[in-house]
Amino acid sequence: MIDRRDALAGIVAMFGATLFAPIARAASVQVAVIDTGPPSSAVFTAGQRALVSALSERVIPTTDTPGAIAAEVPQFIEKLLADWARPEDKEPILAGLGAIETRSRRDYKVAAADATPEQQDALLTLAMNDQLPGGADFFDKFRQLVITGYYTSEIGITQEREYLPVPGKYDGAYPYARVTKVFSS
Amino acid sequence: MAATDQFDAIVIGSGVSGGWAAKELTEKGLRVLMLDRGVMVEHGADYTYDGAPPYEIPARNMMPRPLVKSDYFIATHGYVSPSNQKFYNNDRLNPYAYDEGEKFYWIRPGAVGGKSLIWGRWSFRWAPEDFEANKRENIGGEWPIGYDDLAPWYDYVEKYVGVSGSRENLPQLPDSQFQPPIPMNVAEKWVKERLETTSPGRKLIHTRLSNMTEDKPEQGRSKCQFRAQCGRGCSFGAYFSTQAVTLPAARATGLLTLRSDAVVSNLEYDPATKRVTGVRVVDANTKQAEIIPARLVFLCASAMASTQILMNSRIPGTGRSHFDNSGTLGRYVMDHIFRVNIWGDIPGMTEYIEYGRRPGGVYIPRFRNVGGEEGIGFLRGYGYQGSAYRSPLPPEGFGASMKHGMRGYGPWRFGMGAFGECLPYEDNRVSLHPDKVDRFGIPLMRFDVTFRDNELKMMGDAQAEGERMLRAAGLTNVSSERREHVPGDAIHEMGGARMGADPRQSVLNKWSQAHDAANLFVTDGAQMPSISCVNPSLTFMAFTARAADYAVKQLKAGAI
Repeated sequence: MIDRRDALAGIVAMFGATLFAPIARAASVQVAVIDTGPPSSAVFTAGQRALVSALSERVIPTTDTPGAIAAEVPQFIEKLLADWARPEDKEPILAGLGAIETRSRRDYKVAAADATPEQQDALLTLAMNDQLPGGADFFDKFRQLVITGYYTSEIGITQEREYLPVPGKYDGAYPYARVTKVFSS
Repeated sequence: MAATDQFDAIVIGSGVSGGWAAKELTEKGLRVLMLDRGVMVEHGADYTYDGAPPYEIPARNMMPRPLVKSDYFIATHGYVSPSNQKFYNNDRLNPYAYDEGEKFYWIRPGAVGGKSLIWGRWSFRWAPEDFEANKRENIGGEWPIGYDDLAPWYDYVEKYVGVSGSRENLPQLPDSQFQPPIPMNVAEKWVKERLETTSPGRKLIHTRLSNMTEDKPEQGRSKCQFRAQCGRGCSFGAYFSTQAVTLPAARATGLLTLRSDAVVSNLEYDPATKRVTGVRVVDANTKQAEIIPARLVFLCASAMASTQILMNSRIPGTGRSHFDNSGTLGRYVMDHIFRVNIWGDIPGMTEYIEYGRRPGGVYIPRFRNVGGEEGIGFLRGYGYQGSAYRSPLPPEGFGASMKHGMRGYGPWRFGMGAFGECLPYEDNRVSLHPDKVDRFGIPLMRFDVTFRDNELKMMGDAQAEGERMLRAAGLTNVSSERREHVPGDAIHEMGGARMGADPRQSVLNKWSQAHDAANLFVTDGAQMPSISCVNPSLTFMAFTARAADYAVKQLKAGAI
């Protein structure tokens, strides 16, 4: 069914864990519509929200193309954790933000969101190297959120990468030298 | 208001088989009512996300986890996404007996067009061997027809559908009436040359796909534009679907009535005349039931749903179906076994990438138990579907170095997955739940289907041979995985109402016609006594066109 290319390439299906839920639930005949509005509940405190925003931009900064904030990655992360992910998915993110906050106040005497970009990079590096409690787990998951949010955003798809709405042809030996950007899928 | 004698034929289901039945029967002059349990989807107008980039699709086209858990916990195995959600069955609203029997993924559509909107479109003829093996090996039921009976009907449907592919003259994979193949990329050509040299007798060929490489202006269809967004519906009509191909043809006759949201619970039957007399339909929105009189019925609801409708057409006061005098109804259920994947890196050629998003890929046809590779510890065989591709470079660290480091492509990689034939087993069966019913009062389906020793050995061989062939061909970092084999997962489930020459051993005769009702034809996957190892939809089309031709001739001769 549909294109099995992802499965054939050995890429693990995005969702695989939840099977065979009981059928005994009250059967509402309403087919669920995907909620695309604001987060149905606040995932972050104001301070955490500012930190998520700052760290997103450190993971994918503005360079010759816009960065994570311009691509509204922080809003994507909060929406996803509020409504599109499993409830437990927010736990390692919140724990990691807490660990970074604690370390920032210890080392720099400021809230992590108010630290300098260099200090924030140092905090992210500690997390990446698992030198904070739950650091590596947080880093992997947070980076995944930022990358997913960025490369599925309009900026990520059309400015950082190139989107061909209707390629019209297939060339299986297209010169790489002619490519200035990665093609979005 | 009950309709009376308004229709010459009722087609149940509007997928690959139902669409073909409606086209053929209307073009032969019959007034046809086509029913589908799903919602209406009009070609083009109802393809909500056709052409949309991911940022315009809800939740960036990733199915929200809570929604998967509550409503799409089976459909998630069938590639449901926000861009195609309405084409899929809602597993909460329309359940089967998930918690009983053996684990089975019954992945269902939920819209007019059925699985023709969301299928993989790989399109192969079955081979003479596929119709002969049961008899030779004395396994399952003997086919009442051979390849030659079906070949002209393959010709007929392929010319209309538009199947792209290459002529290969392989006895185990007969050629179709092809449009030019979708090209291989430079890395696939490299793998082909080396694999065919280092593994003599094995072939790596172009995919055979119901995506067109030439326009069909007479059908208002354009060739593939290489968007690879087929499952959202294609306004170009570049791939075969009911909406793009068979429904317009049937509507053009002026003889078709199409009803969506029409759930068929059972067939009404008169034992005295041995005829189906009506189709009982429940409106999915109002739950109003009615019986529509029927002179001729084409049951094309999908292999398992057609079997369910047959099983639920019971002799009053008994649990027995009118159509189960043989005792074989609901038995010999099969699905292709898969979830063995092999991959490796292809050295060099990094001066090239792919332009355009190509559907399909390449195919390694069956080589076991054909052409001299016999006596290897299992029966039948398998093929591999695969492709070569370059992925964007993965992230390293974070920051500007990560961002700019992702602006390139990794090496060429080749990946493939095996699809193997499952033998027909009498006790691989489906049944109606004794007391659980759905919201329309229809007993839930229960699945007791498992893969056995032959299938599991076959997958072990596919994994070992796949690794060996790719290493021999010169790929590096060759690796593989073998995941859980769940029947239904390949979405090629078939059987349940098999055809055969002996009414004591089969439900249908060689014309896909019920032994117990001359005016009932079952032309989808339910009729198969065995299932080859290649994708089945093209074969459903050929069987349906053949049965429609026979049925109308019989009708005109007064024999039905």
